[in-house]
Amino acid sequence: MSLLAADLRAFFAAALKELRQQRRYPTLFLGQLFWPAILPASWVLMGRAYSGNDPQALAAFAERAGSSNVAVFVFVGYAMYNWLSALLWGAGTALRQEQLRGTLEAVFVTPASRLVPLFGPGVGTLLPMALTFASNLLALRIFFGIFPPVAAVIQAAVIVVLGIPALYAIGALFAASVLRFGEVAPVVQLIRGVFVLACGITFPVAMLPLWAQFSAKLMPPTYIVDDIRRVLLRGDTIADVAGDIVIVLCLAAVTAILAVAVFRYLELSARRTGMLGRF
Amino acid sequence: MGEIRAAFAIARKEIRGFSRYRIAVASTVFTPLYQFIIPAFLFGAAFAVNGRAVGLATTLGTDDLPGFIFFGGLIGGLIGMAFWGVAFSIRMEMDTGTLEPTWLTPTHHETLVIGRALGSLFWFAISQVALFAFGVWILGLRLRLEMLLALPAVVCAILAMVGIAYLLAGIVLLIREANFFVDTANFLFGMLSGTAFPVTLLPGVLQPIAFALPTTYAIDILRVQALGARPLFDPALEYLVLIGLTLVSYPLGRWVFARAEQAMRRRGMLAQY
Amino acid sequence: MMAAAPAVETKDLVKVFERGRRTIWQRLRRERDKRDRFRAVDGIDLVVEPGEIFGLLGPNGAGKTTTMKMLATLLIPTSGTIRVLGIDPLARPRDVRARLGAMLSGERSLYWKLTARENLEYFAALYHVPPHEIKARIANVLAAAKLTDRADDYVERYSTGMRQRLALARALLPDPPLVVLDEPTVGLDPQASRDLRDRVRELKAQGRTVLLTTHYMEEADQLCDRVAIIDHGRIVALDTPAALKRTIRAEEVVHLEIGLDGDDSAVLDRLGQSAIVARSERSNGTLTVTAHCASARNFVPAAFDAARSTGSTIRHVEVVPVTLEDVFLALTGRALRE
Repeated sequence: MSLLAADLRAFFAAALKELRQQRRYPTLFLGQLFWPAILPASWVLMGRAYSGNDPQALAAFAERAGSSNVAVFVFVGYAMYNWLSALLWGAGTALRQEQLRGTLEAVFVTPASRLVPLFGPGVGTLLPMALTFASNLLALRIFFGIFPPVAAVIQAAVIVVLGIPALYAIGALFAASVLRFGEVAPVVQLIRGVFVLACGITFPVAMLPLWAQFSAKLMPPTYIVDDIRRVLLRGDTIADVAGDIVIVLCLAAVTAILAVAVFRYLELSARRTGMLGRF
Repeated sequence: MGEIRAAFAIARKEIRGFSRYRIAVASTVFTPLYQFIIPAFLFGAAFAVNGRAVGLATTLGTDDLPGFIFFGGLIGGLIGMAFWGVAFSIRMEMDTGTLEPTWLTPTHHETLVIGRALGSLFWFAISQVALFAFGVWILGLRLRLEMLLALPAVVCAILAMVGIAYLLAGIVLLIREANFFVDTANFLFGMLSGTAFPVTLLPGVLQPIAFALPTTYAIDILRVQALGARPLFDPALEYLVLIGLTLVSYPLGRWVFARAEQAMRRRGMLAQY
Repeated sequence: MMAAAPAVETKDLVKVFERGRRTIWQRLRRERDKRDRFRAVDGIDLVVEPGEIFGLLGPNGAGKTTTMKMLATLLIPTSGTIRVLGIDPLARPRDVRARLGAMLSGERSLYWKLTARENLEYFAALYHVPPHEIKARIANVLAAAKLTDRADDYVERYSTGMRQRLALARALLPDPPLVVLDEPTVGLDPQASRDLRDRVRELKAQGRTVLLTTHYMEEADQLCDRVAIIDHGRIVALDTPAALKRTIRAEEVVHLEIGLDGDDSAVLDRLGQSAIVARSERSNGTLTVTAHCASARNFVPAAFDAARSTGSTIRHVEVVPVTLEDVFLALTGRALRE
């Protein structure tokens, strides 16, 4: 039990370290307010250009997206985009930076669980993410005068919380895989690109070709985004989307196991070849 | 003559240097595709009725969705050229330490802006050709001969963005958080120019800014002439304003750049990195 | 015949930096500027004659680099005058740049993703080298830098010494009569430093004037015809290395380590009777003393006597010839590398 407690402490220490580092970059904080508000707002205006307020066009969109409320549809999609972005950049690159700086080695010689450097940094992004979501909601209210019913927002928050394991598993899998690549930035771009195109971030998944829709079903963000939209826009309840949540949790478990396996494999091969510094 | 050769040497160095980062070269095509073009196309298509962009036709007077997106993206790429290809690239050289030896040569410091603009114009052209090819091949973008009528507007926009590049280079050399500034200002500049949606949809307070940007008129003329969209104003007037703003951008940009240069020689910022 | 103009001439050169920045808000409200001011260069008069190797020797932060940057047109002086090859760099900066070969920040100043040749081609155009001469000029500077066979490798694959030589080669592209080098050997291993010093001597042999800064006294001593010792933005001494060393009325320098428990004034007094105590430092029961003396043969036995009579013991003795380090020490009371 005491070992678990120690690991938990190490876990939060890793998260705190990430937060402290973020404090050093004030524009990062500004960016967390700016982008979540402005980027989706610009897509809502794009939606206005595409719809022309034409009832036929809006009906066509509602049929594909489940609602004609373009603003909420887009803001929910972008909330997921920001979350994924923060995870891939923050948690995903944290491990790589530790490796480059040589501090990963330092962590490995402590008795802390190997899972601490793998999952710890993700926790550090929780607070900035809460800020981003708040900024999202506020922008929706200020720019477009929309505030979804409180009960729906609370249910959406529950879905977000239930989605956390899946997203952190994605972050960890990415973090472990990235150790093999020299350059992180292009890989982040690539992976984020795949999520943007596949998970219905800015357009309904129904627009994708069938094979792509099938791949989207393997990615937890697709379900999370869709479920949040359902409770916010269509008045569905948590009970209505329970099936999806079970799928998300299962996918989270599979992804996490995969992340640990990849990380274990890399650590093992590093110990064998003595190349922990570089993998 | 020496200055012209220096400008081309800078352009060649920019082209060479950039070509050695293969992933960066690929991302000049890949990033606009996944961040803007494909999602915007599918988003726009979600409003289509029987395969026709009726909503866009109401807004703009044309239902050419891919044309609307790609021509907006074209000017967006030009804006990015001034922000990233010229201003940020000079700042990068300052941070890595290569700006100082450049500053030590008798080449006019303004030539740094012109040379970089030439170099990034090259990459701009390459990426646009690739993007348009993708558009034609995958997204049903139709190219017609009349589109060439819009060429003067594009040339004007290029010239205007070089003038603005001076101004941006001056700002970016002096401020601390250049990356954040370039990233956000580039996005806002594009949005306010109407790269992604007509500026008439902007909130009223932002419209005066939009109408002060030369790129707003370039995009509008481009869409009118290439796609047959409804113009914001009389196209002849738009041309006149575009040329006027282009002419203003040079003295203004060069003045800011010269001020920045003086400030750096006084404060010694060139050396602190 | 008229004597040639000095290669570099400065009069009462001053550079004051403000620390930090004024916010836009402060400027708009026209608030009084309350920033700290720091005099990096505080009234420097210099005359560098054509054809000599002139060194500015001083510790880090003494104002050497700031001086060089003002000469090279990168910084505008707060006050004072400068002439570089007879030209005022404030009035005609581009004329100065066209005639000046400057190496200010070594390896960081190259494009690592370009080859050496590509780097030089680029800078040749920026130096306005006539196109038909570019090839030959590049071949020359590459050969002189002993980089010909690696000319088409990316600079990122070079050693620090090679990058430094390439940076110097670049500075020579305009065939400049005056070359300024800021800390040219910093960060180099001994062999690479020797190579670079040989290159500097070649420049002098070609009839060029070289102005360099360094905080290595050996470098100033071996390389320079004349040395200005600079501290806190002022020149504290200026002469040939030999003449500077003669200003210390001593032939030899003795470093002593003395172990003692009590007060050190008695032993220092006794030592002072037979030598000049240039510096003493006490830590953990050990007193480190640097003494300037006419003859170590006479002083060392006297030092042992002094120690014995004050109840302390000499643990270590080292006798060395006088260096510029000792000159700096005598002038400022501090060591160069403190």
